[in-house]
Amino acid sequence: MGFYSMFRWKWLLVSGVASLSLFTFTILPATAEDGGALYNTPYDISNGERYFERQCSRCHGFDAKGNDETGAPDLTGRLRRASTEVGIFNIIREGVPGTAMLPVDADLPDTRVWQLVAYIESLRYDPNSVELAGNANAGNGLFRGKGDCDSCHMVAGRGGRLGPDLSRIGENTAPEDLLNAMVAPHDAVDPRWWTLRITGADGVARTGFRMGEDSFSVRIMDNDANLWSYRKNEIRDMQRIEESTMPSYDQLLSESELDDLVAFLFSLRREEN
Amino acid sequence: MNRTTILLSSLLITVCTTSLMAQEQQFETVMTPAFTPITWERLVNAEDEPENWLMYSGTLDAQRYSRLNEINASNVSNLEMKWAYQIPVIDRAETVPLVVDGIMFITEAPSNVVAVDAQTGRQYWRYDHELPDDLRICCGRNNRGVAILGETLFMSTLDAHLVAIDARTGNLLWDVEVAKHDSGYSKTAAPLIVKDLVVTGIAGGEFGIRGFIDAYDAVTGELAWRTYTVPGDGEPGNDTWAGDSWKTGGAATWITGAYDPDLNLVYWGTGNPGPDWNGDLRLGDNLYSDSALALNGDTGEIAWHFQFTPHDVHDWDAIQVPILADINYQGQPRKVMMWANRNAWFYTIDRATGQFLTGKPFATQTWAQGLDVNGRPIRVPGLEPTYEGIMVSPPITGGTNWYSPGYSQQTGLFYVTSFDGEQIFFKRDEDYEEGERFTGGGGRYEQPMDAFHSSIRAIDPATAEIEWEFPIMPRSSAGITTTAGGLVFSGSADGYFFALDAASGEELWNVSLGARVHAAPITFQIEGKQYVTIASGNVVYTFALRD
Repeated sequence: MGFYSMFRWKWLLVSGVASLSLFTFTILPATAEDGGALYNTPYDISNGERYFERQCSRCHGFDAKGNDETGAPDLTGRLRRASTEVGIFNIIREGVPGTAMLPVDADLPDTRVWQLVAYIESLRYDPNSVELAGNANAGNGLFRGKGDCDSCHMVAGRGGRLGPDLSRIGENTAPEDLLNAMVAPHDAVDPRWWTLRITGADGVARTGFRMGEDSFSVRIMDNDANLWSYRKNEIRDMQRIEESTMPSYDQLLSESELDDLVAFLFSLRREEN
Repeated sequence: MNRTTILLSSLLITVCTTSLMAQEQQFETVMTPAFTPITWERLVNAEDEPENWLMYSGTLDAQRYSRLNEINASNVSNLEMKWAYQIPVIDRAETVPLVVDGIMFITEAPSNVVAVDAQTGRQYWRYDHELPDDLRICCGRNNRGVAILGETLFMSTLDAHLVAIDARTGNLLWDVEVAKHDSGYSKTAAPLIVKDLVVTGIAGGEFGIRGFIDAYDAVTGELAWRTYTVPGDGEPGNDTWAGDSWKTGGAATWITGAYDPDLNLVYWGTGNPGPDWNGDLRLGDNLYSDSALALNGDTGEIAWHFQFTPHDVHDWDAIQVPILADINYQGQPRKVMMWANRNAWFYTIDRATGQFLTGKPFATQTWAQGLDVNGRPIRVPGLEPTYEGIMVSPPITGGTNWYSPGYSQQTGLFYVTSFDGEQIFFKRDEDYEEGERFTGGGGRYEQPMDAFHSSIRAIDPATAEIEWEFPIMPRSSAGITTTAGGLVFSGSADGYFFALDAASGEELWNVSLGARVHAAPITFQIEGKQYVTIASGNVVYTFALRD
């Protein structure tokens, strides 16, 4: 849950709002054509969450972050098939033809579907509603200047290739997680950014980022951005260093400079059409 | 050319075209070539006709061992693709085709079957099963294969029906409702023929169903016997369920079993008790969930049971294909059943009596300190799911799962796709509502899949020791087939199909097929040439040695 719970109202005032919501159910019609969820109180969201855990989590995950085994998408970021509450409602109601996403039971009341929509919507938040201490413009300057972040990271086509492209990092990363990634980069390193030291058939040991690995082959990129591919059965030795190569900025930048960088990174998202 | 000539020419062209179209239409409705009907005796002796693959697990003992050896360790690197069949419905293919005298029967999502020429992959006929739009399925639209007896195919369907299809034409012969789909029942597994009966299981363990194993008359489709996997009121074992919890006790039977003709026993695994992750309202051992059942082939009567995970709260179904073999155990020949369970423990059991012989973990596990003399787990206390979540190994998907293991008569080793992972298990309170999911919680991974280890492990069934392992990155949900060519064939989630040396685990050959392998390989022979077939993504690929 972590950061996201800050943006969810779940469990708050549940009993108090419950009676009000029940009253609301009886007087307001709800169809997809209405244009949005009328059921988005904390009570509705918690009901939606319970329904989600029960009916949807098997494929989408208990944290709604998806499952590449089942092909079920992450629902906590930008949704690919729906951009409005009505769109989400329709997908829940009708399913996605030709996929394992079946429609919900036709007897399920619209109210319950709207509660589910409200829960899914609660997994996201309006970035404009987040107030950050830092200054994004100052952060941009630090990114390209004192922080030297762009020697490894690309933003909008400018920068290095030795770290993840951060052009849209703000879409699915919370400010506190951005801060944590800068001060404690060795926490939860994605296996994509592990370092491998491989001694190949030629007896030469090379070190680089784990660009790709499968059952029979592995690819690394060294610090000069050279890509080396190996067949696993020809490798003499392989060591995994499950740490990030990124330095900690805990001591390198001041607290306010870190805030500025967080504000800058959090502002990096796809341009709205 | 005058007008009359033009008119006559046009007429001639029209007649010819019409005649060609008629011929083509007739061609499109072709039957398969004739084949010798499959008798029960042929199924009992399926091992003796390795040119065919006559049932889900190859033979009744489910070893998935073929006597074919044209493809072997010395030449397997010369395999090349001969044909590919594209399944038109996009979903993941878990199909294990059958091959009868050069005709291949492939099942497809959601509940269809197609007959193709096994030498070319070209289609003879297809059967599309009409499905209602209110299916209750937990885990995708899957079908794993058909069974054959005589000239009839038998297939499970997602709406919990069993259908009989004419193998020559694809015509529907009969269609019976096994259970009500809108109550949460569905069917995905290939049936097993036992004499003149079609033995078949049921899925729906995430919907609070009451599981059973059925046998239907192959000719008429009439129910011959039904054995519930959750005992009813007053029956032995019913007292292992608190209150009325047995009524929604699950114990689904969603994978194919095995059969011993000498003992006349059907062996079948059962799934998790319901609800999966909250055992508070179903205190007790919850028989016969997570068990191996041995049933009389004529009556369905339970001869013995062995429960791997009493009172399971982690969704560790005993939904594995039982492998039967006669091995040397402590100096004596012994009829055994081998079982690598989703709970990460491997068991060797006397299949005549159900007596536990030996067992050890074959994958990372943290939940049991050991097994007692009867094979019952000695639990590590305090690892039940909680509201806040608790880390336990193996994860929900298990140390292995439903994917077929294999056994080689050459090496005497048992082969299994295994996974070393962990997951946070959560508990939730839920009331049962018919047709709704009834799981009582769930799980969450804390790390990406690449952070875990997966491998094919070869186990000596006499000692339960791991003899070798072949690492897979990141994981696999493929079955295993062994051959007299000294080979182990399997696949991986990263889209490889590969062959290992059955004795050493050494890598011999691989090909990247580009999509996850969720199925088990088969092998067969036509005109003296050996073929190997595997489904990957939505495509069925067939390989043979380079000509």
